[in-house]
Parts: sequence; structure tokens; C-alpha cells
Amino acid sequence: MNTHPNLRAYLAGVFVPTLVLPLLLTVFIVARIVLQVPVPIEQAMIFPMAVVPLLFGLWNMLWLGSRGCTHLPIGLHGAILPLVLMPLGATTAHCLGVLAFGAHGVTWFQAAYVPYALIAPCFLAALAAYYLIWKYVVGALNRVLGIA
Amino acid sequence: MNAYDEDRLKKLLQQALPPVEADPEPGRDLWPAMLRRLDARPAAPRPSSWAWFDAALLASLAAFAALVPASIPVFLYYL
Repeated sequence: MNTHPNLRAYLAGVFVPTLVLPLLLTVFIVARIVLQVPVPIEQAMIFPMAVVPLLFGLWNMLWLGSRGCTHLPIGLHGAILPLVLMPLGATTAHCLGVLAFGAHGVTWFQAAYVPYALIAPCFLAALAAYYLIWKYVVGALNRVLGIA
Repeated sequence: MNAYDEDRLKKLLQQALPPVEADPEPGRDLWPAMLRRLDARPAAPRPSSWAWFDAALLASLAAFAALVPASIPVFLYYL
């Protein structure tokens, strides 16, 4: 089990987004077909399908490579990821027409309205969620795969 | 090593090692003690303050998702 640690780190990293993706697809399809919400599903799926798993895998590889120098716990390392993901995701979403900026808030997927006052709490919630996911899920997978 | 050395070595070894008793059984049955050790479970680790912090964080997240349901699809978008 001492071979290909980067490959194992990548696979452990992509585990969570790979599990969430079908859930996300289900939510969007139910919203669009059952609830008749005009969700632009094709544009909305590009970022979570192509970018998020890749970044999760690379981020775990980065943790594996840098932990000797930084000694950063994996939970805190994962909590830094939204600092990269959120601006990238918001820019992508805005370019694809998934995110619209209004006078008092933003509208995601032409359906979910989030006031500007809630952006900071949302960001903090994302940090907390990423911290927990990386500490308990990715960390556990790293231990199972013998790289932690 | 000649025959004299071999005899001398043999005698030295016999002097150094204690003679084996005729009944080498222990004085008591060791198996129940072995079973007790096998059955003994390590004490459950005490939940650290970080575990309480993480649980509080999870509860806060659930409360936030309940208060702001619009954040759920946005959060899923980033996973």
C-alpha cells in the first residue's frame, strides 16, 4: 500500500463530489420537471460535474504533499477550499447565466434568491461544512487508503 | 572444535540451564484469565472538546439550512 499515494489521495478527494452529484441531479430534475421551476440544468451542472471533483482531488493531493511542511489538520485544509471554489464557482455561474446579481441580492438557478446580507453567513456555513466533510469523510478515506 | 571442547560446552550448558521439572504444568488454570483478557474491551475514549465543537457546528449548519432553504441548492452546487 505504499505505491501511488497521489492517486489514492485524488480518489479519496473525489469521493464526496461523486456521491453528491447524483443527489444534485435529482434535486435539479425534480425542480425542473416535477415542480416546473425553470432551472437551467445544463449550465448549472458544468461546475459541480467538471470542476468541483477535480479540485477536491487536487486539494487532497496538495494536503498529502504539503502536510510535512504545514502540519495542517485535514479539516482546516479542507475549510480553505471554499476560498478558492466560491469565487470560481460564482464567476462560472455568472458567465453561464446561472447566477444573477440584483439590487438587494443574488438569484441562483433563476429560482433561489439569497439576499446580500446572507452572503457572509452562507460563506461561513460553507467553511463549516467543508471543515466537517474534510475532517470526517475525506480524512477517514485517507486513513482507509493508507495515506493519513 | 574437538571432542573435549564439545563435552565441556555440554557441561557448561547443563550447569547454566535449570533442569526441566517432571511436571511442567502451571500451578493454576490460565485459560479463564486469558478469556477475561480477550473479553476486556479498551475503554471508550472520552469525547474531546473538539467533538462537541464539531457537533455544535453540524447543528448550526442544520439550523442555517432550515432557516435559509435557498442556501441548500447553492451549497450542493459547490459539492
